[in-house]
Amino acid sequence: MRNPVMVGDRVYLRPLEVQDAEGIAGIDAVETDTFMWRGPMPSSPLGHEKWIAKLYEHLPPTEIVFAVCLKEADRFVGLVGVYGIDLVNRVGETGSFLGPAEVRGKGYGTEAKHLLLEYCFDHLHLHVLQSFVLETNTRSSAALAKQGYRHAGRIKWADVKNGRYVDGNVYDLMRHEWVAARAAWLQSRTAGLTSQ
Amino acid sequence: MMEAMRIVYLTGEHVYLRPLVIADKDSASAWHPGPFLMGAAQAEKVLKDEGAGAARRLALVRSQTDEIVGSVKLTSNDGFRRCWVTFHMAPSTIDCDALRAEALRLIVRWLRDQMEVMVVSVEVAGDEEETIAAAAELGMVLSARLREFVSRAACRVDRLTYQALNPRWEVKDA
Repeated sequence: MRNPVMVGDRVYLRPLEVQDAEGIAGIDAVETDTFMWRGPMPSSPLGHEKWIAKLYEHLPPTEIVFAVCLKEADRFVGLVGVYGIDLVNRVGETGSFLGPAEVRGKGYGTEAKHLLLEYCFDHLHLHVLQSFVLETNTRSSAALAKQGYRHAGRIKWADVKNGRYVDGNVYDLMRHEWVAARAAWLQSRTAGLTSQ
Repeated sequence: MMEAMRIVYLTGEHVYLRPLVIADKDSASAWHPGPFLMGAAQAEKVLKDEGAGAARRLALVRSQTDEIVGSVKLTSNDGFRRCWVTFHMAPSTIDCDALRAEALRLIVRWLRDQMEVMVVSVEVAGDEEETIAAAAELGMVLSARLREFVSRAACRVDRLTYQALNPRWEVKDA
C-alpha cells in the first residue's frame, strides 16, 4: 500500500496523485455502462492532472478526493470523495466512481464508501452528508440506501436522459444512520450472505 | 455611477439589484459569502475572476441608503434553461429575511416569466420564514429537505430546496 489513509479488508483509500490522471482517463476510455449520467464521456489525462493539482491548492479544502485501490496488486480502481465541504455548517456532498465495469458488483465500492463515510464523520466530524443521483440511476440509489442514506426529495428536471428531462433524487445521511447501516453490512458479510 | 447600475426590472420597494463593480471591493463583507474575512485586495481579485466566470453575482442593495446588504449568485450550466439562485446576506443586516424575500420575488418573476427559464431553484434555511412565504406565494414547490443541514448559534435547521417550474415548459413536456 502506498500512502494509505483509510484501510479496509480488500480496499484502501489514499490521496489522489497527479500520476493517477492516466488511470482515470483509462477507466473513462473503456466505460461501456450508460446508467450513471447521460452516458460515457472520453477524458484526457491533461485535464485530470490540472484538476488533481488544484485539489490541494485550497486550504482548508472544499473537496477531498481519494484514490480507491485494491490492496491485492495495489490496483487503482476509481475515486470516492466529499465535495462542497462546509466546515462551518459541517456538511458536504459525497460522490464515487469505480471502474472499469468488471470491478463493479464485487463489493469494492461499498467498502470504499464506508471508508469515506468513516473519514467524513469520524475524522472531519461532519454532521450531515448529502448525495445526488439521477432518477434513472437506480443502481446508485440502491447503493446509497444500503449505506444508510435517506431520501430527501426530488430535484425537478435535473438533467436529460432518454430524450426527456428527468428528476434527480437527493439523499441525506447522519452519522447514527451510517453506523447502523455499516453494522448491518458487516454482519451480512460475516454471515456470507452477500459481498456487496 | 452606482445609480446607473441599478437594474430597472430588478428593483423593488426596499431593495434593488445591480452588477458588482470594482469599487465594491471595499464592502466585500457584505457581498462575499462565508464568515471568513476578505480585504480589499483579495476582493478585487475575486471580483475580476468572478466577473470573467460563468456564474453571475449581483449586489443586493437597500433602496433607501444604497448600502449593499447582500448578494445573489445565478448559476446555470446550460445557457439559462435551468438556474440556481444562491443568496448571501451581509452579517450586519438585521432585516435580511424580508429583503431576501423581496429579492426572490423580483428574481423568480424575471427568470421564469421574462427569461423563460425552465426551472429556477433556490435553497432556503428552514427558519427563513419570510423567504419561504415568498417562495410559496410565487408558486414554487418544495423539492427537497436536507435534515439539520444549516448550523445556527444554538441549534441546527433543515435546508429546503424550492423550485419554480415554468408552466410553459411543463405543458410542452407533458
